[in-house]
Amino acid sequence: MDQYKLFIDGEFVDAADGKTFESIDPGTGLPIATVAQAGTADAEAAIAAARRAFDKGDWSGRDMAERVAILQDFADHISQQGVRMVLTECMDAGQIVGYAKMIVMWASLLMRNLSTYALTKFPMEEEILASGNAFSPGREYVRREPIGVCVGIVPWNFPTALAMWKIAPALIMGNTIVIKPASNTPLTALILAEAAKAAGIPPGVFNVIPGPGGALGKTLCTHPDVDKVAFTGSTEVGREIMRMASDTVKKVTLELGGKSANIILDDADMDLAVDGACVGTFLHQGQICESGTRVLVPSKIYDEFVGRMKARAEALRIGYQLDPTSHLGPVVSKEQLATVEHYVKLGQEEGAELITGGKRVEVKGFEGGYYYAPTIFANVNNKMRIAQEEIFGPVVCVIKYDGDEEAVAIANDSIYGLAGGVFSNNIARAERVARGVRTGTMWINNFHVFAEYCPFGGYKQSGVGRELGKWGLEEYTQVKRIHVPYYSDRNTNFSFTLMSDNKKIDGFNYNCPTNVIAGHGSLSSIYKVIVDLGCRRALIVTDPGVRKAGLADLVKSALVDFCVGIYDNIPPDPDLESVDGATAMARELKADCIVSVGGGSVIDAAKTVCVALKNGGKANDYVNRWFALSEPQTPHIVVPTTAGTGSEVTNIAVITSKTAGRKLFIADPRIMPNAAILDPRFTMTLPKDMTVGSAMDAMTHAVEASVSIMANPICDGLALHAIRLISENLPLVVADGKNEKARLNMQIAATTAGWSFTIAQVGLAHAMAHTVGTLHHVPHGAACGIVLPKVMRFNVDHATGKLAQVAQALGVDTRGMKERDAALAAADAVEALMQKVGHPMRLRDVGVPEEGLPICAFHALADSSILFNPRPTGDPGEILELYKQAY
Amino acid sequence: MPLVTLGPGAGRAIKSLLSEKGIQGPVRIELQFTGCCDPSLGLIVDTVRESDLVEETDGLTFVISPETHELAGEVYIAYKDDAGRDVFVVTSSKPVSEWDGFATCSIRM
Repeated sequence: MDQYKLFIDGEFVDAADGKTFESIDPGTGLPIATVAQAGTADAEAAIAAARRAFDKGDWSGRDMAERVAILQDFADHISQQGVRMVLTECMDAGQIVGYAKMIVMWASLLMRNLSTYALTKFPMEEEILASGNAFSPGREYVRREPIGVCVGIVPWNFPTALAMWKIAPALIMGNTIVIKPASNTPLTALILAEAAKAAGIPPGVFNVIPGPGGALGKTLCTHPDVDKVAFTGSTEVGREIMRMASDTVKKVTLELGGKSANIILDDADMDLAVDGACVGTFLHQGQICESGTRVLVPSKIYDEFVGRMKARAEALRIGYQLDPTSHLGPVVSKEQLATVEHYVKLGQEEGAELITGGKRVEVKGFEGGYYYAPTIFANVNNKMRIAQEEIFGPVVCVIKYDGDEEAVAIANDSIYGLAGGVFSNNIARAERVARGVRTGTMWINNFHVFAEYCPFGGYKQSGVGRELGKWGLEEYTQVKRIHVPYYSDRNTNFSFTLMSDNKKIDGFNYNCPTNVIAGHGSLSSIYKVIVDLGCRRALIVTDPGVRKAGLADLVKSALVDFCVGIYDNIPPDPDLESVDGATAMARELKADCIVSVGGGSVIDAAKTVCVALKNGGKANDYVNRWFALSEPQTPHIVVPTTAGTGSEVTNIAVITSKTAGRKLFIADPRIMPNAAILDPRFTMTLPKDMTVGSAMDAMTHAVEASVSIMANPICDGLALHAIRLISENLPLVVADGKNEKARLNMQIAATTAGWSFTIAQVGLAHAMAHTVGTLHHVPHGAACGIVLPKVMRFNVDHATGKLAQVAQALGVDTRGMKERDAALAAADAVEALMQKVGHPMRLRDVGVPEEGLPICAFHALADSSILFNPRPTGDPGEILELYKQAY
Repeated sequence: MPLVTLGPGAGRAIKSLLSEKGIQGPVRIELQFTGCCDPSLGLIVDTVRESDLVEETDGLTFVISPETHELAGEVYIAYKDDAGRDVFVVTSSKPVSEWDGFATCSIRM
């Protein structure tokens, strides 16, 4: 009789206490080998060896390609042991020889294929292109690293395959492992150890310790040097393993019990379904955790199906597992046989109808074997114990149902959720049923199909985690995020300023890629711009007023044949619904480009359309997301009809959510439009109040950007020039709306201010303006203008030099003035400009009630713009005072 | 040789569980399948069948089928307080599984 030893630290050794046990051939009931029986000391030695090997790093620290080369060699050594492994698998586990051949061949293929996949396709490192953190830009990536020492506890039904399900991913990903095979079937794991040694896997990386689970389980699952436990077995034992592992918070993957439903639909191919039901249940004598042991059959074909299944089951040949004509071999042990008998008796007591089987089978010449006839119970109620408990033998319950919904309900009426099947000639219908069943795998017109790239694992009490495929590889890794900031500078770290009195951010990233084409007649450039963007089908997005003014049609004409439609229903404060409407039209017309013609509302809506069009779904899926887009969006060309928001070049879009009752944002560099065409003809007809209001919006952008804690020299230059242009040209356009040169300069000012604030951000004035806009519907530009001078004075001691420069840009002669006085003069100059152009000066003039001011103060405090204000404030009283000044 | 031996606290815990449900018993010791971890011994409130072996212990009635008794031998029921939940570890003189004594069970009612 063969003798096998433990495999610890690269050596085959006897158990520390010298114990051995016999492995029995279930087909004969006779011993086939003696095996060293590991005890606690051996388990500890194996864990220690695995720990040393892992910590030493000559496996875990090896390049993946080197590991894979050794593992491919390991796979070849397994193949070389093929005949011996097949025979041993048959004699140890009772698998029929035809099945064992497939399983053993797969063990080798599994290692080869999974390791090649890991080397060539598995993302050991993944870049996070859009981190979602707007304040700490930099490279973000994740690395997959091995977990450490893994324990694999393997069951007896597939001792080779299920060992490889654990060994392969563990070793590929750089872990070390201790395998405890089932005591009924310890042999093939030890042959795998021989192959591993021959392949040169370093000592300690792979260890095998056969022995009783009851005695070794606690050590394996609680030892502090074990980092992960992977177990295939019963829910009862798995639950205890999970509990034990939790003390030291080990990772666990558990593949546990099942009571899978095999659903036969009334349109199924009857021959296929009958075979599917029999193979699903009786393969390997039903000793497979995902076996379809509940066959659900519709009433109208029930009797015929049961009759045919009975005939098929009775035709199956039961015999010794090495006899190539055997369809079924023995169950694994006499205890297993006794338990099958117990359940069959229980089923009869519960009132199920025994159709066939229900008895032991004596195989001539193998009288000591544990053979049992394929057994069918009909008229089973799903509440019966035989339908709820795992029998793990060749016993099937055939359950009647009416309608697909009832079939799904019965399938789901189980503590388990491992697998299942659906048989139907209508694949769409079968898929609908499959989706309704809460299990980890559903086979359609098939059963028991495994593949190394497809995951396996359970819902509910059938397990935790997945084995096989990339999902299985991931289970043997830790995920490490690595962040490397743009700036290694404490003064350019937004988070670090929280613990510093210096709030100013020094470093900056200026990336404003919008192509700006400006000048009289520049609209005609759109014909070339759209081609440069690789587009041919533009949807114009605009509002009713712009459409009525004929501006959208001008753009349509300039696009010649490249315009597929005009969506003209964007409201003043664009909401999610209007964006969705435009997106739907764009999809219907297969638009490949959006051209927005309008003011900030239209442009913001169009930006959101571009995101939804590119990524699918609705606008609501993308609002309130910052820096979350990782690739270019649908191309967007802007033709502004106002000079204020600067939205034609900024990275922000504001959309109103009626459900949320507030304005929501998308802030992302990826939504910056591709091109902005500043043709002054499009702003010539803008009414005076809108001209002034939008100009003060731009003024506020520029002033706040210049004093922001995010201010930088590029944005400063842009902001100051925008202020200068507005100061000089706003009075001109107010005096003569047809002054085209002044109109163009105002457009350029708005765009320049947009470039400035999209990087440097805005501050308290915007926080206050957003609030009165939301709560009291004050036009944004008017609100900005009214509160801006008050906020400038509030900030005077925190941005003195910058405000003095603003004063100069506003045309104040600051020569001879003290810097602080010059800074204060900037606020006076803004007010003087507003008066000169007829801008409202007080909040009371634009409909804000005095009693509403306190609540405005609280809301403004919560606005994100306040983060960038040069003077920190967290006091609603301070903001209320400013509102009162503006009132 | 007794059919069943109760560990400290086991009898009291079983009585308490039965009393909570207003059930008298008897308690059957039976084989329960635990998939590819082999069978285990479990406890269930049941009726007495004609062929059963019956034993009164600590004021409780236990029954076991002759087949299960032959397979498992003498049964030992240990009590375990599992975070406030009364559970039992059922082992036997002839272990029915390599996981004998590892997991816990409650009484099915």
